[in-house]
Amino acid sequence: MPSRTRYFDLTGKKAMVIGADNPAGGAIARAYAEAGADVALCALTPDEAVMRARAARRDIEAMGRRAPEYIMDVMLGKNVQVTTRQIVKDLGGLDMVTIAPDAFLAKPIEKTTDTDLARVMQVNFSAHFFAIRAVAEEFRRQQQPGRIVCVTSVLGERGLPNTAAYGAAHGAVHNLVRAASQELAAEGIMVNGIALGWMDWMDDRISPEDEEAQRAVRFTALRRRGQPEEVGPLAVYLSSEVATRYITGQIFPVDGGLLQHL
Amino acid sequence: MLERFDLDGRAIVVTGGGRGLGRGMAMALAEAGAAVMVASRTEEQLAAVAEEIRDAGGTASYFVFDATDSKQTDDLVAACVAEYGKIDGMFANAGIGGGTNAEFWEYPDWAFEEVLAINLKSSFYSCRAASAQMIKQGTGGTLVTTSSGTAMRGNRGFAYPTAKGGVLSLTKSMATMLAGHDIRANCIVPGYVSQRPAADDQERAFREQRGTFMPVQRLGEWWELGPLAIFLASDASSYVTGGHFIIDGGGLAGGLGPVKFRPRNEG
Repeated sequence: MPSRTRYFDLTGKKAMVIGADNPAGGAIARAYAEAGADVALCALTPDEAVMRARAARRDIEAMGRRAPEYIMDVMLGKNVQVTTRQIVKDLGGLDMVTIAPDAFLAKPIEKTTDTDLARVMQVNFSAHFFAIRAVAEEFRRQQQPGRIVCVTSVLGERGLPNTAAYGAAHGAVHNLVRAASQELAAEGIMVNGIALGWMDWMDDRISPEDEEAQRAVRFTALRRRGQPEEVGPLAVYLSSEVATRYITGQIFPVDGGLLQHL
Repeated sequence: MLERFDLDGRAIVVTGGGRGLGRGMAMALAEAGAAVMVASRTEEQLAAVAEEIRDAGGTASYFVFDATDSKQTDDLVAACVAEYGKIDGMFANAGIGGGTNAEFWEYPDWAFEEVLAINLKSSFYSCRAASAQMIKQGTGGTLVTTSSGTAMRGNRGFAYPTAKGGVLSLTKSMATMLAGHDIRANCIVPGYVSQRPAADDQERAFREQRGTFMPVQRLGEWWELGPLAIFLASDASSYVTGGHFIIDGGGLAGGLGPVKFRPRNEG
């Protein structure tokens, strides 16, 4: 069912979702399509991630939109650039991008190896940098406004034991959003973020034996975990050319109020 | 998913809805399907907004009240219930600069109290009255306050930012206290946004010049808070509460130098 207002209508627009194989990326890809966009789906690894992206593809094609699949190696800036170029050619343009890679790691600092840290920083942070760099180049080439949405975590705003590496990577994304917004605003390219709280697909991030874990969910004001379909609408809003002409450099929470209380 | 943005069947009050950003939000909410009640002190403006909404096929009514008076604010919510049978949303948006230009060390009591009353007490009264009714209904609802970018940084004219900072804190506390009643509370933080279309070329030129200080190279326009209002009033934001939503053309994300300042050292 279409929205009653023009603000959230993406009919005819071209979108790319990096990390369409994870729940947040998949939900946003479906939301883009429901709003009327064709969506290029980027899985990050050539394994079962492709099958997860393909599930989104089936849903989107059933809506009558195009949803070509790609494998994008976000560890390599050049691969991100080349794949983005290909996507723009295949879709015939690009209006919005969601960047949603997510490699969770929860380890004490002293157990976090050099390799762990490098991988966490690359997937969670560098991927955003590579993608913004590649996408800004495409938007400039088109000489049209564009929208970039970075999906991040509340752990980029606050400290939590065992998440030093992961939280630092997301904190880096938050300031990447702010700095990129300043660099790209005058060209009509808006860069914003969505910081997720405890979502219902994150149960594997807590130990079932941890008595504190259930109390952690209760730290959320709404006393429940978020669902994938609660992420999509904000991404559509922040990707809409007409609705988001005066918003940039912001990280908006979809966290049930987790960040907002003492 | 997109039906989450629809406000069909929702009754929403917008204080300060006779002009400026409140008017813009009221019109957007009505466009998304809400039955809107605009409220302020100025009947002429309210009647015009309500008529404009109805002419566009929407549902609107108005209520004349003084937002700094708690009894009149309770009456406003009662009027919404009388008109629409309930209240689902409160945009506590009434507010204005006010005060005086006196230096801080000479700033008079009356001016500080006036600015706090218009901007902060009014927000408390509106949200208190609305939440009491929402809890009575057992339906939940949404509260949306209007703060200001000036609340996030120090600047001259301290009374207004102080009051608007209070609005921000009020909102986060409301989110915490009211979540158990299924009431969400969020805060809109506008930067430089024009309250109405430019009246003449001179005003247009002034705005263009001021716009060059913004990262997006222009000022915001009165209607641009509309989509944000719809998002926060609707189920599109069902997992969002206590948030503050800065809409300022990138100003607060930067601000470490003139907008065209770019350090360089390419190694």
